[in-house]
Amino acid sequence: MNHLLSALADEANAVVGQVQRSLVVLRNGRRGYGAGFIWRSDGLIVTNNHVVGKARTLAVTSDGNEYPPKILARDPQIDLALLKIEADDLPAAVIGDSRLLQVGEIVMAIGHPWGQPGAVTTGCISALGKAQTSGKRRGELVSVDIIRSDVRLAPGNSGGPLVDARGSVVGINTMLVGGDQGIALPSHVVEAFIENQLGEDSD
Amino acid sequence: MSGTNNLLGRLSESLAQAVVKAGLSTVMVEARRRMPASGVVLTPDLVLSADHVVERDDDIRLLFQDGKDSAAQVVGRDPGSDLVLLQASGGGLSPADRAPEAALVGQLALALGRPSPEGIQASLGIVSAAGGPLRTGRGGLLESYLRTDTIPYPGFSGGPLVDAGGRVMGINTSGLTRSSSLTIPAVLAWGVAEALERHGSVPRGYLGIRSQPVTIPALQREALGREQVNGLLLVGIEERSPAERGGLMVGDILVAMAGVPVNDPDELLAMLVGAAAGQSSTLQVLRGGENIEIQVEIGERK
Repeated sequence: MNHLLSALADEANAVVGQVQRSLVVLRNGRRGYGAGFIWRSDGLIVTNNHVVGKARTLAVTSDGNEYPPKILARDPQIDLALLKIEADDLPAAVIGDSRLLQVGEIVMAIGHPWGQPGAVTTGCISALGKAQTSGKRRGELVSVDIIRSDVRLAPGNSGGPLVDARGSVVGINTMLVGGDQGIALPSHVVEAFIENQLGEDSD
Repeated sequence: MSGTNNLLGRLSESLAQAVVKAGLSTVMVEARRRMPASGVVLTPDLVLSADHVVERDDDIRLLFQDGKDSAAQVVGRDPGSDLVLLQASGGGLSPADRAPEAALVGQLALALGRPSPEGIQASLGIVSAAGGPLRTGRGGLLESYLRTDTIPYPGFSGGPLVDAGGRVMGINTSGLTRSSSLTIPAVLAWGVAEALERHGSVPRGYLGIRSQPVTIPALQREALGREQVNGLLLVGIEERSPAERGGLMVGDILVAMAGVPVNDPDELLAMLVGAAAGQSSTLQVLRGGENIEIQVEIGERK
């Protein structure tokens, strides 16, 4: 009936399907469901630090396999954690350049809100700015780039990807600050963290 | 994405461009203790904003997309529609592009705001409803309004609702209803701005009647000679009011003003906003079994 709208729907469906392949469920005992995604095909997974917690975490990939991940690095200040699972040829997410983002762009959050696996919510980039988070030393404040969006987020989205209209990951959904805006840590911050922690190029 | 036209990507780019375009005429308005709010440039030196965010008459500062700022003065306020017209001392501003047609329910919409110097902000949604008239609780009445499912972020009041081409469909405010935000359609907002520029206020017509909607009895409907079900039963006439001078009486059923059928009190209020004040108008009234016309000189509500 309406060619443009149905073509848009088909494309959105394809984009979501592609991202879902890189999505990981992080099961964390009683603390439940968190999200993460495959950053590199050799098993490098990016998620939120608070999703990993203290208990034993299990990573479930989109093909249903379960892995006990090794924690490579974690940072409570920017709520990031790097995990590694023993696998090869995993479907890595396409990483976009978050420094090129513009307010108004369409973005989608993919995760497990309220335990619903692989669910997608959509909206636009609302603002590009900075947030203050506590630093490593007591009383120290660190400024970090953030993406604000009007995408609806819920528990279970934490650690999951925020992707642009092409399905490239531009951020990681985080509950860094409260309010009714979704907050994501831009992918360029994740790249810098990986380089800094693992002493290597992120790609 | 291979094998597709990348429609989603193009739509996304268009929306980002719409934000850039409309962002040129979306300004930060600093005129209250709390965080600043937003405004829309109408002419090279006039900015429309929400009345409730301009708490003071002095020391008003505007900040523009290019980082420049300007002092501003209040030209006029209309609390009834929660609009305020400001004049920037510098001039040379980029006026917003106004959407040529009324917004349609279901169409894409971006709410924009500039509540901080960090940059333009946006929320995406659709036009959820178009309604009116709406009593606004400050003695005002909106002839029409829009609702959207965009998020009314703090400081978005006074900012524009724009279409996918970055053209202004209305002015957003969360100051008119207690629980939600709504949008004053561009045609109404621009009309209020024009009245504020000319008179410093929005004239509202006054008749001096109290009325309630009634179903027109069958016999009287015959006298009326058209398919109108409801009219306004006059239950009170104020002394020395335009209605009394014109000869209206308690018990009359008002069915039309200036040839336009009147079905309920809100419709009449909407007709009395703006141009009607100070003018002579013909009221159509059912009195007993008769259909009569009465001339009134519409007064101005102070």
